[in-house]
Amino acid sequence: MDYQLSDEQKQIKEEVRRFAENEIAPVAQEYDVEEKFPHEVLETAAEMGLTGANIPMEYGGAGYNALETALIVEEMFAVDPGIALSITATTFGSDAIMEFGTEEQKERYLEPVAMGEAIMGAAISEPDTGSDVSSVSTTAEKDGDEWVLNGNKMWITNGSVGDFFVVMCKTDPDAEGRYNGFSQIVVESDRDGFKSEKITGKLGIRASDTAELIFDDLRVPEENLVGTRGMGFLQLMQFFDVTRTMVAAQGVGIAKGACDRALDYAKEREQFGKPIGDFQAIQHKLADIHTRTEAARQLTYKSAWSVDNSDDQLTTLASMAKEYASRVAVDAANECVQIHGGSGFVNDFDAERLYRDAKITQIYEGTTEIQKNIIARELLGKGF
Amino acid sequence: MKILVTVKEVAEAEDDFEIDGLDIDERYLEYDLNEWDDYAVEEAVTIAEDGDDVEVVSVTIGPERAEETVRMALAKGVDRAIRVWDDDLESADMLDVGTKADILAAVVEEEDPDLVFSGVQANDDGFGATGVALAEVVDMEWGAVVNDLDLDAEGGVAHVHRELEGGVEELTDIELPAVLTIQTGINEPRYASLRGIRQAQRKPLDVQGLGDLGLDASVLESAVSRTAMFEPESESDVTVFEGGAEEEAGQLADLLRDKGVVEG
Ligand SMILES: Cc1cc2nc3c(=O)[nH]c(=O)nc-3n(C[C@H](O)[C@H](O)[C@H](O)COP(=O)(O)OP(=O)(O)OC[C@H]3O[C@@H](n4cnc5c(N)ncnc54)[C@H](O)[C@@H]3O)c2cc1C
Repeated sequence: MDYQLSDEQKQIKEEVRRFAENEIAPVAQEYDVEEKFPHEVLETAAEMGLTGANIPMEYGGAGYNALETALIVEEMFAVDPGIALSITATTFGSDAIMEFGTEEQKERYLEPVAMGEAIMGAAISEPDTGSDVSSVSTTAEKDGDEWVLNGNKMWITNGSVGDFFVVMCKTDPDAEGRYNGFSQIVVESDRDGFKSEKITGKLGIRASDTAELIFDDLRVPEENLVGTRGMGFLQLMQFFDVTRTMVAAQGVGIAKGACDRALDYAKEREQFGKPIGDFQAIQHKLADIHTRTEAARQLTYKSAWSVDNSDDQLTTLASMAKEYASRVAVDAANECVQIHGGSGFVNDFDAERLYRDAKITQIYEGTTEIQKNIIARELLGKGF
Repeated sequence: MKILVTVKEVAEAEDDFEIDGLDIDERYLEYDLNEWDDYAVEEAVTIAEDGDDVEVVSVTIGPERAEETVRMALAKGVDRAIRVWDDDLESADMLDVGTKADILAAVVEEEDPDLVFSGVQANDDGFGATGVALAEVVDMEWGAVVNDLDLDAEGGVAHVHRELEGGVEELTDIELPAVLTIQTGINEPRYASLRGIRQAQRKPLDVQGLGDLGLDASVLESAVSRTAMFEPESESDVTVFEGGAEEEAGQLADLLRDKGVVEG
């Protein structure tokens, strides 16, 4: 067992943190208030290679594995989750292409994303399809050498700024079994029949773009199919463990951001003639959130390590990490506001923004309830 | 063409610190690449990217801990690095400018670069002398406080702007080989890219002792020694002006005249 990060991992953390403090922190409030996508920050991030951290070297990325990617996610989310997600989510859906894509698809889609020249997304959820992914109703019908798509996708990250999306659709409605008959198809946003509508008024991560996608007799060539026809759902399932681990890392980052800010404020703010950090009630809050953040971090690192090293324990760990880290993020952000008192209630301080941003980690990539269902299912040995 | 960049890992003290003997207590120190050296590295790497066949080598004098800093330079595009250290250096009380210049001179002799970049100064001990002292030892042309560089590699000339006092700049042509001390603001240092950090782990980082450079412990002898370290008492004095804007402005003007800030 080795509890030390390597020198290389420490360097990654340090440089990503430096980037986030210099390039993200000064503009975080502005993008949050205006609810606008941080194209300018993304450009600098791309120069540093933050848009292609996990994309293989031969396609222009850094080829980092899950643990290093988790470290990058953690450092950026500790500074500002909205802009951090805008940067890290430019590769949403790329896992499917890396694992199941053809050589031609990898070059066409992965390279521009790694270089920061294109933004992608993963479109699974629909107005009537959330936790129950197998109820996807968007269809893709084969017509000659093209796929024709019809349907709506809801809550799609990067929906109105993305260049292409890996879309989950039903290609074989007659297939037997709940999980068969789905396929993953790449849809470019400049195709006829593509429409997106930005969703505004979000509670948190307001810099990140979220939109509804509408496909109306949208045609793509047959080579846009990723992997095997009819196996889309099973292909997708393979990556939930990875993407959930990354949301766990987001939670750890937010919790860390809340812990740091709470500690700083407790040292500075004075009442009754002394820093509020001298009061035991505040000390216990600080002790509690720091302890739980460290516990969430270790669970997340173990899950990330398992992505690369130990498949059999991964599914349970990924759901445990996602559920626990997101809960700790919400709790730590809550205590951070409490420690800030009235100052925590307005956006002069980051506490307020983190408090709003934390919540999403309990919702997307499978809600808290769904994670617990998975953990229990694995414990009780039932198949999905 | 070869560019040698001297880099230093500097200690930065926290706002509140304590002094322990002749130094700031280790507990309050954090280490980082010297700010000026970051600009020197960027300048060299940019020249390498824009030119054909330019090798950038960085050299530091420092303990193993300094490798983290050197690796960052490698991650930003430096091709290989040299770290000079051994037991003699470890046990030295302090390394003065002359010592450092002699050690770096031995590296210059070994590497035979066309250009040497150093930072104008280091933000810990702030001597601001190592670069120019090195030029003197190796008998190269030199330019200090360079804030703009236009290199004519073929002609063997560096057209530089040097920052003088009072916002004045001197434009000078310096023949290569030369030592230039680089001022902050000459460029915009990049972040080490993730790919760069990854690749840097496999770039050569050579550790050399004094003996490897043809030197011995006598190079450490110094006429300079640190005798004490203290934190000056900071004094503050507050004057509160009262009255309307005009009155307050008048009071401020009187005060400035009084203190000799303005004349008349
Ligand atoms: C900002 C944002 C970004 C998003 N980005 C994307 C994206 O890029 N791509 C994408 O495809 N989707 C995305 N989503 C969608 C997200 O994944 C879904 O919102 C999420 O899976 C929950 O689905 P739902 O909203 O339909 O909620 P529902 O499934 O309707 O859930 C409502 C409530 O019921 C509970 N519930 C449901 N089923 C069960 C059960 N079996 N047992 C116990 N409780 C249950 C849930 O836990 C929840 O509390 C995003 C959402 C948001 C808000």
